[in-house]
Amino acid sequence: MVHQVLRRFHGSAARPESRPPPPPPPGDLRERKPDRWVVARGDDPFERAARRDAKTKAAFASAVDAFAEGDKRRRGHVEFIYAALRRMAEFGVERDLAVYNRLLDVFPKEAFVPRNYVQRMFNHYPRQQECAVQILEQMETHGLLPNVETKVLLVQTFGEKSHPLRKYQRMMYWFPKFKHVNPFPVPRQLPQDPVDLARLSLARIANDLDAKVTVYQMPYTDVTETGEEISFPHIVGSQSPDQRELLARHDPSRPVFVEGPFPLWLRTTCVYYYVLRADPLPPGEKVEEPYDPERSLYYPLQLSLDLDRDMGDLGDDFSVDDVDEGPVFAMCMTGRGDQATLNQWISGLQETNAVLGRVPTLFRLDAGPRELQGGPAAAAAQGEPPHPHPEAEPWVPGGGEEEPAGPPRQEADVTLEEEPPPPPPQSSERPPGRRVNNG
Amino acid sequence: MNINRVINYKSFEIGKSLLAFNLRRNGRRVFTPHQYRSIKTHARSLAYAKDLFLGQLNKVTTAEVFPYPEIGNEELEELNQFVAPVEKFFNEDVDSKKIDEDAKIPAETLDGLKELGLFGMQVPEEYGGLGLSNTMYARLGEITALDGSIAVTLAAHQAIGLKGILIAGTEAQKEKYLPKLASGEHVAAFCLTEPGSGSDAASIQTRATLSDDGKHYLLNGSKMWISNGGFADIMTVFAKTEVVGPDGVKKDKMTAFIVERAFGGITSGLPEDKLGIRGSNTCEVAYDNVPVPLENVIGEVGGGFKVAMNILNSGRFSMGSSGAGMMKKLIEMTAEYASTRKQFNKRLSEFGMIQEKFALMAMNAFVMESMAYLTAGMMDRPEVPDCSLEAAIVKVFSSEGSWICVSEALQILGGLGFTKNYAYERYLRDCRILLIFEGTNEILRMYIALTGMQYAGKILTGKIKEMKKGNVVLALAMMGQKLRGSFGGTMDFGLTGKDGPVHPSLEDSAKKLEQNVYNFGSVVESVLYRYGKTIVDEQLVLKRVADVIINMYAMTAVLSRASRSICIGLRNHDHEVLLANTFCTEVYFKNNYMMAQLQKHAPENNDANIKKIAEQVLEKRAYICSHPLDRTF
Repeated sequence: MVHQVLRRFHGSAARPESRPPPPPPPGDLRERKPDRWVVARGDDPFERAARRDAKTKAAFASAVDAFAEGDKRRRGHVEFIYAALRRMAEFGVERDLAVYNRLLDVFPKEAFVPRNYVQRMFNHYPRQQECAVQILEQMETHGLLPNVETKVLLVQTFGEKSHPLRKYQRMMYWFPKFKHVNPFPVPRQLPQDPVDLARLSLARIANDLDAKVTVYQMPYTDVTETGEEISFPHIVGSQSPDQRELLARHDPSRPVFVEGPFPLWLRTTCVYYYVLRADPLPPGEKVEEPYDPERSLYYPLQLSLDLDRDMGDLGDDFSVDDVDEGPVFAMCMTGRGDQATLNQWISGLQETNAVLGRVPTLFRLDAGPRELQGGPAAAAAQGEPPHPHPEAEPWVPGGGEEEPAGPPRQEADVTLEEEPPPPPPQSSERPPGRRVNNG
Repeated sequence: MNINRVINYKSFEIGKSLLAFNLRRNGRRVFTPHQYRSIKTHARSLAYAKDLFLGQLNKVTTAEVFPYPEIGNEELEELNQFVAPVEKFFNEDVDSKKIDEDAKIPAETLDGLKELGLFGMQVPEEYGGLGLSNTMYARLGEITALDGSIAVTLAAHQAIGLKGILIAGTEAQKEKYLPKLASGEHVAAFCLTEPGSGSDAASIQTRATLSDDGKHYLLNGSKMWISNGGFADIMTVFAKTEVVGPDGVKKDKMTAFIVERAFGGITSGLPEDKLGIRGSNTCEVAYDNVPVPLENVIGEVGGGFKVAMNILNSGRFSMGSSGAGMMKKLIEMTAEYASTRKQFNKRLSEFGMIQEKFALMAMNAFVMESMAYLTAGMMDRPEVPDCSLEAAIVKVFSSEGSWICVSEALQILGGLGFTKNYAYERYLRDCRILLIFEGTNEILRMYIALTGMQYAGKILTGKIKEMKKGNVVLALAMMGQKLRGSFGGTMDFGLTGKDGPVHPSLEDSAKKLEQNVYNFGSVVESVLYRYGKTIVDEQLVLKRVADVIINMYAMTAVLSRASRSICIGLRNHDHEVLLANTFCTEVYFKNNYMMAQLQKHAPENNDANIKKIAEQVLEKRAYICSHPLDRTF
């Protein structure tokens, strides 16, 4: 084992561990061990392909092709497939059905189809079956529905009643049923522009077709006379006519609050929003609008009867929308959650809500989540692609031919066999590097 | 239950019966053409339709609808004198096709109408009008309805436009305005609806503020969908004024004003381009600081709401006769076609499905006519009875009946009916407005049902409370009652039999009505028991309640009319009996079905589902089903 590890480190210029591994498929515990396949072959075709062209689908496909054509017997294909599965996200093909089918095609045909009842009774070629199930599993994780080609490949490879085919059938049964189960789907591709993202998020929170999203300020940078660069964040707000009406009726002697930031998750992205709200009226001060008998010209709006609704017909009156928790008058999203910026929002709101000029506005801003905004999640919210990691940057473009920063690597030899601590989720981009440093 | 009621309301009944019998006797004798009405202070309330909500028909209330009201010989003769020239005019001088195409009634036609006095039909003779009673007005309405545009123009002028002056105006106002309005020299309009206010008086924005010198009001605002708005000289305008209430608090209340175009500051928008009644003028009217003298307030300052309501309530009854007039004409036209057109060597009139359409049209015309003249007759009784409930019933039934029948008439002609070569498409377009204006049918159903519920609720509250407390005796009595009903026990309210007002040949139908009325009483009771005053929010329940009461009133009207026709031997009274019996049987089953639904709770009668469907659609404001061709894999 040690020998193999050494060979990997000294023999390969590709140095696979120098590159952040893709997010592991859930449940796969092997991801932290070096790929056995790579270990055995001492060469990484994906690395080679990526070196030739960029990390694209074509590169990935060429790597798979190279493997399939290179060895007639397809030795080590299970290991190869596991390795390929792990690299898919890296090549941006993790949601490409054709690529999965191509991977399934790597299995030699008909070799694993049980031929008699004994074979059928027992788990025939379990490693291969498990591997194929793993492919399907990863498709499932990415919400990818197999097609007929997948089925044909599975039948050709494993036969009609194999585990992978069962898996395929289950997927075909459940996937369509669950496809539209979410009434509020999030688009897979979130808009890159922070203003568009804010629009989308606000519309999602408000869920009111009347709500109007207003851009109070587009993001821009300005250079002052002293040569300082000042960037102005975007301010996007949403308010519906109902909210405006509520605010207009708000008692000016009671304060309104600007609160936030509150998180909103859109798939893997977290954005923050702020609300303008008031406290609910204390029960004593609620004023019911008195019944005006001279209101409806045609029919009485109320009957003067001393009869209430019968218990049996009360029904289930609880409504999640009708909880007494104080009105929310407006919402906004901004690139910078400080009071000055939010004040700008409030003065923008004031143009359509004159009452805000008379109501005391209190800012109750939490500091905590604002720090998070510097993190990768907020970076994603700002429209930057989530992947580029500042530390990983210098290692990638060179393709790993020349060897940067030697010392940490050597230490790695010693500590590698230790079971590393699970990488913290936010820095999962480069666990091996960190491991090395810690050692 | 009946005994209970008699005990409970004995004193009330006796008092009322004395009063009613007196009036009845008077009513038959004194049947003068309609005199001008003063604003109602103590309207004797007729209770027939309302009493149906209690599930009872007693001698007092049935006396209001049996026998069928009739007019004296002199009146009839007088009326026929009016009718002949009007009919002639409409047949010869009115070119409805041209009116529809040009979207304008020619001046000559309007002059002809004025000469016939049709602009002042209900204006008393002392002010230069014809002084017609409601019955006579309804009769003329049958003819004017032959052209929808003219009918609406006339109705906007006198059924609502000048009605305010007529029922609530002062003597001076009447003398000043009515003569010119009656002659048609001035045209009136009724200006209530605003862009932001249909039935909701609270959202009226037009304001009248007292000028600095306190001599007149300044009127500001705009009104929309004003019939005759483009050329009306006199308008009844409703606006908010500031009124100091009895507690010293200033409040905005509605006030009615007589506004002359000559006051200045009034601008009319372009006439709306409409689907039907295209010849009538409908447009927006804007008021910019229009000075209105103090003496032009109708009724009291702040009393505009009552004025508006009275005008609206009184204008509706004539729609029944208008619809019937139109139906009769349509039957003639289509019968001609169906009897001449041959297919497969058979006339269209020999095909069952075509025959069914004629039966339907005849039946509807008959019912509409019966209801309209019954109601008009009731309204013509002295002491200004409040017939607004009945009038609303007539409006709803006849507008819907007309719509269905016109559509069937068009169907008989097939493709020809769809072309502009024939008048059917115009009738269809014109007729559509009936369901909308003068209070949409939905709103009127609410009015009908809630008025009855209020009336019945007042009387039943005590009993229902007693039941809710768990009064065993009462509950057992109820149970027995229900059981008897379910075992087919019939109810005898005395409509038939030796002293009954219904003719024996209509006995079965009368029994059906009695049965319906009886069941309806217990339905109303259970609805009140279940919903109490929150019934106002149960529109689907109220709709059925209204439909049942509409049907029962219609049954009453045809029974009453057919009985009279047999008794005095009118021509073709056997046909009337046939129509009446057919209608009653048909409606009896419809009523039973609706009442069965009313007895059920929301999930069983589909109401909950209907609401849910609507909610889901409205939440997305779209039809939300996936396309049938969509796939998920």
